[in-house]
Amino acid sequence: MSKKHEPGMAYEMKKLHKYFAAFSLVLLFSVIWVFLDDYIRPWKAYQIEAMKIEKKKIAKQIEEAEKEINNEKLKELDAQLVEGEKVVEANSKAIKELEAKLNILKRDLKDETIINGTLNSKVSALTFDWGVAESHGAKYAPKLKAKLDKNKALFAASKDRMKGLQAQEKKINKEIGKLQAAVTEVEKEKASILMKKKLLGIALEKKKVDPIFAIRNAPFVDFLDPTIKIQQVVLENITDDRYFQHVPKVDRCMTCHTFIDKPGYEDQPQPHTTHPNLDLMVGAKGIHPMKQFGCTSCHGGEGHRVTDFNAPAHIPSSEEQKQEWIEKYNWHEPHKVPKMIYKNGMAEAGCVKCHSGVQYIPQATVLNEGRRNIEKFGCYGCHKIEGWEHKRKPGPSLERLAAKLDKEFFKNWVWDPKSFNKHARMPSFFSQTNNSEPEFMAKNIAEVNAMAEFIYEQSSPYRPFARYKGGDVENGKKLVRSLGCMACHGVDDYPLENKMVDPHKGPFLQGLGSKIKSADWLVSWLKKPNHYSPNTIMPSFRLSDKEANDLTAYFLSKKNKSFEKLKFAPLDKNLRDEILVTYFSAFDTVEVAKKKLSAMSDHERTMELGRRSVGKYGCYSCHEIKGFDGRAPIGPELTKIGSKPLTQFGFGHEYDVEHSRDGWIKAHLLDPRRWDRGSGKPFKDLTRMPNFYMSEEEAHTITVALIGQVDEKIPEKGVKQFDSNEAKVAEGMKVAITHNCIGCHQIDGEYGRLLKVYEEEDINAGPPRLNGQGHRMQGDWFHYFLGNVYPIRPWLEVRMPSFNLTNEEKNKLVAMFQAKADEGHFEEEVHEKVVWEPGERQAAVKLFNSLECVSCHAEGYTSDEPVAPNLKYAKRRLRASWIEKWLAGPETILPGTSMPNFWPDGEPADEDILGGDAKKQIKALTKYLLEEGHNFYSPIHKAKMKGKR
Amino acid sequence: MKELINIIADPIFSFPIVTTLFVLMMKYYRIVGTKKFGLGALLTAIPVATWLCLDPNFRKIILWPDNIPINIIIILIAWLTWYSLYRAALNDNRLDEGLGPWEGLPENREKVWVWPNLVYTELMCIIGCTVFLVVWAIIFKAPLEEPANPTWAPNPAKAPWYFLGLQEMLVYFDPWMAGVVLPGIIVVGLIAIPYIDTNPKGNGYYTIAERPLAMWGFLFGWFVLWQYLIIVGTFLRGPNWTYYGPFEYWDFHKVVAEYNVNLSEFFWIKWLNRPMPANMFVREFFGIIITVGYLFILPPAIARMKWGKKIIANVGQIRYYITIFLIIGMASLPIKMVLRWLFSLKYIIALPELELNL
Repeated sequence: MSKKHEPGMAYEMKKLHKYFAAFSLVLLFSVIWVFLDDYIRPWKAYQIEAMKIEKKKIAKQIEEAEKEINNEKLKELDAQLVEGEKVVEANSKAIKELEAKLNILKRDLKDETIINGTLNSKVSALTFDWGVAESHGAKYAPKLKAKLDKNKALFAASKDRMKGLQAQEKKINKEIGKLQAAVTEVEKEKASILMKKKLLGIALEKKKVDPIFAIRNAPFVDFLDPTIKIQQVVLENITDDRYFQHVPKVDRCMTCHTFIDKPGYEDQPQPHTTHPNLDLMVGAKGIHPMKQFGCTSCHGGEGHRVTDFNAPAHIPSSEEQKQEWIEKYNWHEPHKVPKMIYKNGMAEAGCVKCHSGVQYIPQATVLNEGRRNIEKFGCYGCHKIEGWEHKRKPGPSLERLAAKLDKEFFKNWVWDPKSFNKHARMPSFFSQTNNSEPEFMAKNIAEVNAMAEFIYEQSSPYRPFARYKGGDVENGKKLVRSLGCMACHGVDDYPLENKMVDPHKGPFLQGLGSKIKSADWLVSWLKKPNHYSPNTIMPSFRLSDKEANDLTAYFLSKKNKSFEKLKFAPLDKNLRDEILVTYFSAFDTVEVAKKKLSAMSDHERTMELGRRSVGKYGCYSCHEIKGFDGRAPIGPELTKIGSKPLTQFGFGHEYDVEHSRDGWIKAHLLDPRRWDRGSGKPFKDLTRMPNFYMSEEEAHTITVALIGQVDEKIPEKGVKQFDSNEAKVAEGMKVAITHNCIGCHQIDGEYGRLLKVYEEEDINAGPPRLNGQGHRMQGDWFHYFLGNVYPIRPWLEVRMPSFNLTNEEKNKLVAMFQAKADEGHFEEEVHEKVVWEPGERQAAVKLFNSLECVSCHAEGYTSDEPVAPNLKYAKRRLRASWIEKWLAGPETILPGTSMPNFWPDGEPADEDILGGDAKKQIKALTKYLLEEGHNFYSPIHKAKMKGKR
Repeated sequence: MKELINIIADPIFSFPIVTTLFVLMMKYYRIVGTKKFGLGALLTAIPVATWLCLDPNFRKIILWPDNIPINIIIILIAWLTWYSLYRAALNDNRLDEGLGPWEGLPENREKVWVWPNLVYTELMCIIGCTVFLVVWAIIFKAPLEEPANPTWAPNPAKAPWYFLGLQEMLVYFDPWMAGVVLPGIIVVGLIAIPYIDTNPKGNGYYTIAERPLAMWGFLFGWFVLWQYLIIVGTFLRGPNWTYYGPFEYWDFHKVVAEYNVNLSEFFWIKWLNRPMPANMFVREFFGIIITVGYLFILPPAIARMKWGKKIIANVGQIRYYITIFLIIGMASLPIKMVLRWLFSLKYIIALPELELNL
């Protein structure tokens, strides 16, 4: 301002104008920037890329279509066309005449259509008017009636004329067609050959980048009808929780994942790849089509956000991928997103929220493995998980433990189960990272001593009913494998089988000679497990005395010498009292606590610490222990852990653990005590979750199963609802899983890991595969059999044990198989008398003999060694309709069965019998079997009923 | 060094430091307000700021899109403060020499036309601001947060940046006090300034020497009690409104020791070693007396003092009492803060029965 300007002016006008121009230009550029920033979206680039990919693909298809075209045929047709044109040319005069005629006819037809239409509307209006007049008794009603009748007549006449005209038109058209046929026919044929190429050409044309494409997608006008646009599905049945309201889920993932639902793009790079499992997911014909289920319903994330790569909350599955994404997409951790996309390989967690009520979901391999591991490690024992409440406690009952184990063994085992048996499922509570300081160790030793005293005190007496008389170790070893023990138990001597079956229901059998207190106990246990433990799921194998003794001899020969040598430190009474004082002083002063303690006898003190320690470590969560009935399990509930806010996970001072739910859970599973590091907790507050020493893989699968446990409300229509059959299957499966039926038996192609052992040698030597079992078995026989097992297949060494099933459980199992096969409970005709057609019975007998059924199914017919089930008991066991199906093609039901097919491809077994009609032959044979059969469930049943009589 | 900064940035230390700096700045404004000092400060600030920004935790918090305005505020305020001090120092030196203020020089008193000198330049400023906002909006996208969940509040839950000073007050006062009474006094006080400040000096020119009370009083409120608290609330308060140093990672599980005791508890239990009286007014009588004394006895007492007499002579009784009341109100905040830090004092008057705590 110190510079002088014109009077009244602080600035020079010219300069101001220049500044103003500069400002205006900057404003203009920033406005253009706004529009460009709005217009240039990352997803557009992907769609253009997709167009290129698609064009390439179509071009290739066109090439292939061209190869398919038969050029010779085409030439021939062209020649024919020339000929035909000549013929048509010759007819041209006639055609022209006909066309002129047709034109006039068309004029008349149009005229008649107008007349007809007018009359039609008149008739309708008059009908209404007359109806009103008539019902109100108007005087002019008859007049209206007359008018109506007249118009009706006119309308009918017009209609008639029209039909005439239409007939003429048709006739002329036909005549013209005939005259032109020579050309049109050939053209049609030609078109059909070229059709594919033509259609592909049109498709390619549509993808062309031409001025119209440019205009449709130009800035400012691209709101009208763009070709590059956001794609989306709106899901009414699945909603997003916006807290104040549930809104239909909107997924726009397919805006960039352009070919996710189209087969044929599997080889393209992301994001253009086809979904890896179209039959199950996304595919229009799959179980979960995209239009109905979207993407984020399973994968998680914010599916409606397409701003950029980070917006939907993509999460890298590895450190390398993270680095790659940071470089490529400027990836960063999602900011304030409630639900991120599950990492690659963890998407099956998304199944859980809709598929409740079943442990295993078909095709969810990782999730199923995770749930199997949850069962294996018994997570549900300490942690409540909704849907797992029906499960029995994972550990054995300790109510009669004193009869089974030595106290010294018990203490050493509790201190470190893995040192006795590296496969032990019992986790380790002691000598862990947070309690291996000498002070804590000493206190832990006092606790273990007290727990042992307490457990042995509460244990009721038990006396084995059988005596061990010595046995054959080698035979015992053989029996362990052949009887089928390995469906539930791992056995040290069979590493290959352990690997194949990976059994987890029962303990891994190792070093039993150092574990079991008395051989008599083991014989009794093997012969009748529920004599010792009424609630055990260990079934009876109906072992002979020799078998039981041989097995016992074998098991007891296995010893763990180094473990036997362990001596557990004795109870330090001072420490015991010190720990008790901390317990007592929780709500009282130390002085009062000490007084309370001094009033107790030495024994009482030990018992008190034992009881409190059992409660502290939650032993009762996994084992039946007297005095702990109804106590809530020790761990926090996991039902909704997948939605627990990340800030509520205590990462402690573990800075290497990935800051995510799955990162925490996996780290926790691998080393639960890690969070105590650097926290300086006092003895009573140390983390108690034990260490399972699980593998990375096991921890990973459990993590997948757990992060699926989310707190999301899905509308009922969106959730998988069981129909009555599925509900029965779900219920039955709970029983089948509890008693590990699925350890031995394959059910309709699933489960049955024990079968792997037999697969290579002879699948028929393994436990029977239950394919369409509900159709095969009669319901009442099946129910009987589950309670009264008897050998059916004489060749089997593997033995179906007698389970300790309740009536309800048996019913559930029967209902499950029937529901699986979609069969009713009973097949009525079974109980009816067999009615023969004339000559049918003779034919059946002839067939029965000529097919030599009894050469295998010997029992009841010859004295030969039987190698197939007893046919006499088929009547009450099998359904007639199933026998027919079985005879018609055993291979289709049980691939690899030794039962021959006598009617291959529907050919008759014998040309001369029953006119060579295969169906009739099968029917006759079935009837014969029913007639021949005993009216008993089994030989045992027969003997019992006969005895009664 | 970083640890040291983390420690001294805690309001317990940084409040006295900032207050001291403020006093020094006001006292030696003739030194601060020189071009040499300004340039020196700028040249020191650049490497210091660079060093600060090398720390990832520091970078994270200052580059948080919500916090960008605060960074701009800090820079702008530093510049504007220095500039006004510079102009005030210039004038005050001239006044000492007996010359009039610089703004009063004949060449600076010349009048110019509103159009185009004012209107045209204002238009340019409007355009410039628009461009600035547009570009800002493009570069720093408005952060989209998770859907609002009534059962799960974000942590830390922060007010808009311009209210963070108020939110910081909530640490020391009951909500009705920090959220209603004090802001009310601030607004009313700001409105009242033209009516109580009758000092004609300083009209149209920068000066500090000629109106010390107004400058010291207002700038203390503005810098220390408003801007400083906003900066604390923005950069130094993390999850659970816990204090985090500028280089500290916002660990969600950080725990701080805070146990506060009411004045009545001090009085009855600690000093008199007696049980607390059942009657709440008896219980709180000590705090009530202090408060009443502070509000109603202190002003007349000051009025008897030399300083008070001078003000009354200048502006009269009514204006004096309004002014002193505003000053007392303003002073209550630092007083309470200091009491909290020194004695873990919770409330001077604690009447939760009436939801009245002070």
